[in-house]
Order: sequence, then C-alpha cells, then structure tokens
Amino acid sequence: MLDVQGVHKSFGPLEVLRGVSLQVTKGEVLVLIGPSGSGKSTLLRCINHLEKIDAGHIYIDGQLLGYREVNGRLIEEPEARVARVRASIGIVFQRFNLFPHLTALGNVIEAPIHVRGLPRQRAIEEGIRVLEKVGLGEKLNVYPSQLSGGQQQRVAIARALAMQPKLMLFDEPTSALDPELVGEVLEVMRELAGEGMTMVVVSHEMGFAREVADRMALMDGGQILEEGPPLQFFEAAQHERTRTFLSKIL
Amino acid sequence: MDVFLAIRFDGGAVTEFLFNSVILRGVRNTLEVTILAMLLGTVLGIALAVMRVSHSRPLAGVSAFYVWFIRGTPVLIQLLVVYNGLPQMVGSDAFTHFLTPFRSALITFSLNEAAYMAEIVRAGIQAIEPGQMDAAKSLGMTNLQAMRRVILPQALRVVIPPSGNEVIAMLKNTSVAFVIAFVELTTAARLIYAVNFKVMELLVVASIWYLIMTTAFSVLQAELEARLTIVERERAIPLTTRVLRTLGGGRER
Repeated sequence: MLDVQGVHKSFGPLEVLRGVSLQVTKGEVLVLIGPSGSGKSTLLRCINHLEKIDAGHIYIDGQLLGYREVNGRLIEEPEARVARVRASIGIVFQRFNLFPHLTALGNVIEAPIHVRGLPRQRAIEEGIRVLEKVGLGEKLNVYPSQLSGGQQQRVAIARALAMQPKLMLFDEPTSALDPELVGEVLEVMRELAGEGMTMVVVSHEMGFAREVADRMALMDGGQILEEGPPLQFFEAAQHERTRTFLSKIL
Repeated sequence: MDVFLAIRFDGGAVTEFLFNSVILRGVRNTLEVTILAMLLGTVLGIALAVMRVSHSRPLAGVSAFYVWFIRGTPVLIQLLVVYNGLPQMVGSDAFTHFLTPFRSALITFSLNEAAYMAEIVRAGIQAIEPGQMDAAKSLGMTNLQAMRRVILPQALRVVIPPSGNEVIAMLKNTSVAFVIAFVELTTAARLIYAVNFKVMELLVVASIWYLIMTTAFSVLQAELEARLTIVERERAIPLTTRVLRTLGGGRER
C-alpha cells in the first residue's frame, strides 16, 4: 500500500533523508522510532507531500505520489492533483494544528464539504459519528481553545478520519501532551489499529509499540537502520545503535 | 483680561453652521468616499496580500511594486494624476466627464487604501502559524482553498485593529481632496468662511463633525473586534471599556 524507495531530501546543505526505503502493507501498523533529528518527521511530511523530495519514489497503492515520471525524471504534478492524493492520506501533527476559528465539528466537516464535496447535512452526520468515535460526542460545538490537549488531539484524529483516508500518519501525536492525557489518545489509536487502519506512527510510546505495532523501524542519520517485529526489537535487536537507543527510552 | 476680551469668537455661528446644508453635504461626501474606498480598498488589498505571499514570483512582484509605488508617492499627487493628469493624457471628452471629482477621489483613495491594507493583511497572514497551512493541505485543500477557508478567516481577525486605524486616517486624509474641488467636509468649511470670514468658527464646526465620525468608526471597530474574537475570553469586556481602549489607540495582545 505504501512503498517508499530510496528517498533523499535535503534542507540546504543538510541532508535529512539519505536514501530511505520502507514498505507498509494494507492494515499494517508501523511504529517508527529514532533520535530527534533523524528524519522521522521529515519522512512523514514527504509521504504526505508537504515536503518535496529530491530523489527516490513514493508510491501509494502503486501510484506515484505527487509526481509523474517522464523519461526517468520526476516532474511535479499540478497542485490540484497533489491535493487529491493528499486527501487520501490523513496526518496527525504533534501540535494538533486544529483550526482555532472553527468548533470541533467545524474542524471535522470543513474538508469533507469543501474537498470531498459532501452536502453539508451528510458531512455533519459523518462528523458527529467520527467525533463520537473518538469519545467527543459531547464537545461538538466547543472551540479548540476550550479543550484539553488530549481532546484537541482526538479532534485532530477525527478531522483526519472524516476524509476516509487509506493511510494515517501520526507525527509524535502524544509528545506535546501532559502525561495524564497521553492514554486517551493512544486508546483511540489502538482502536483504529484494531479496525484495520493502515498506520505509520512516529512515537516513543514503547508500551503502545509493543502492543499495537506489527513492525517497528529505527531511523538514525536519515536512514532506516533496523526493521522488524516488536519482539525482535525489544528482545533481540541486531544493531548496537538500536539497543542503546532503546535502553535510553525504555 | 484684555487679551480675553479681545478674543472674537462667535459661538452662535458654530451652532448655526453645524447643520448648514453645505456642511452636511461635505459630511456626506466625506463619509461616502471613506466607506466606499474602505470597501474597495479592502477587497483589493486582500487580493494584493494573497498575491504577495503566493509562490508565484510575477504575482508577488506586481504586488510589491504596487505597494512600493503607492506608499512612496503623496496622495495629493495621486489625486492630481487621476483628476488632471489622466484626462490630459487620454484626451477624450467622455473620459474627462467620467472623472468627476467624486469618482477621482474614490479611485485614488481606494487605490491608496489597498496598498496599506495589503501590508496589514500580509502581516496578518504571516502571523498565522505554518502548521495551519500544513493541516489544511493535508486535508486535501489547494493553496487557494486553504487561504480562503483557513488562513484568511484567522488573519482578518488580527487585521481589524490596524485597519480600523487606517480607515480613521483615511477619513481625515480625504480633506486633501480640496485640490480637485471635491466638496468634502474641509472644503465645505473653507467655501463658507471664504464668504463670511468666520474662519475659526467653521474650522470648529468641521472638527466637531470629524470627531463625531472618527468616534463612530472607533465604536464600530471595537464592536467588530469583540464579535470576531475567536473564543469568548473569561468575561465579556464592556463596550465602553473597549471603545476607550480603541480611542486610546491601545491594543491588547
């Protein structure tokens, strides 16, 4: 479903991704870990085409993402096409990025109405359904600033789900939260994984990884160092780097 | 005491001329040009601001040039260019007739307001954190959709206090339209005292009307700000406090 091949990305002289390859099959949950600055967030942003890539290929369902290949060269697609592909990939940001001028329900129905073209009434019905799903059926008409961090992040998840994405990306979804609010967000993600959502999660919540991940990957210095099922990661990591990193965060 | 006795000021003339028909027409003209120029200038200014922050070099360049040009030349010259310069260049009677003093003033002040609004709105857009654009795009919105549905609604709230000041400044600046014989408030006062020599009295009359209008705009601005404040703060701030705050030019945040 997601196929990342040899992706390179630099910001000026700084090469953040140095040939990243990664596959995620349908229904799989991949947890991506690694020290800060290792390129995890950048990789997610590239998958969603919020950043352009310098080299490599990213395929979603066999379709090249955001580019056309002409004689071996990548040409960026027109904006409207990029937007359409992007709409099928949900992303949840570390800092929520909710729209502060809209209510919880407003946040959730905005894109279904204006991007998917749903009639308002249908969008509202679906919006209520996804907000109930994340446990916020009571907070439909509340503005983000009146919600706790955990509630805001759950609205953000609902907002992404309302677009009925094929793939959900989570960029450190709990690291901006107070410790006691982490659980409610992880719970929603756990349920989502249980329903068979394909997910790429950047997170250092190792309890979550151990329980939910089908596969884990360690990124360091812009490359994927090690990849494998959680059990192998925690019990028999092959790289020294993986072992030292895990020992630091566990 | 002698000095005070020597002062000649006809208080009766102030009340007499406060509602003089020429003065009232001046007030109406001033208001008309100010309000219409504010509306046209705001629309054009938002377009210029969006062009300025767009990824298109030519669009951004045109916008930057426009703002540089308008802000860098006196309104007085711009008025003369529109009213006297253009008709001479075009040399068509129909065109000259079209450019009445009112239309010339409206065009000039709209173009002017647009340049200042463009800068204010641009600052507003840039004050919105980049995560908002990321979120909008990640939901499948195009740049323009994201701008219209997510960025501008937030930016325009930030923009209200400075643009309110801008409108008040423009209201007073319309007085320079006397050079093209447009009968706004100041011109009206001058026309009358040219005949009856009650200079001070008529300047007081004009000032009273300017104060009434600027106060009205301040109240409007305070109301608008309160309505559009994103989420109710702890408690609503009483209208009088808000007006005083706005009149004082002070801004919270």
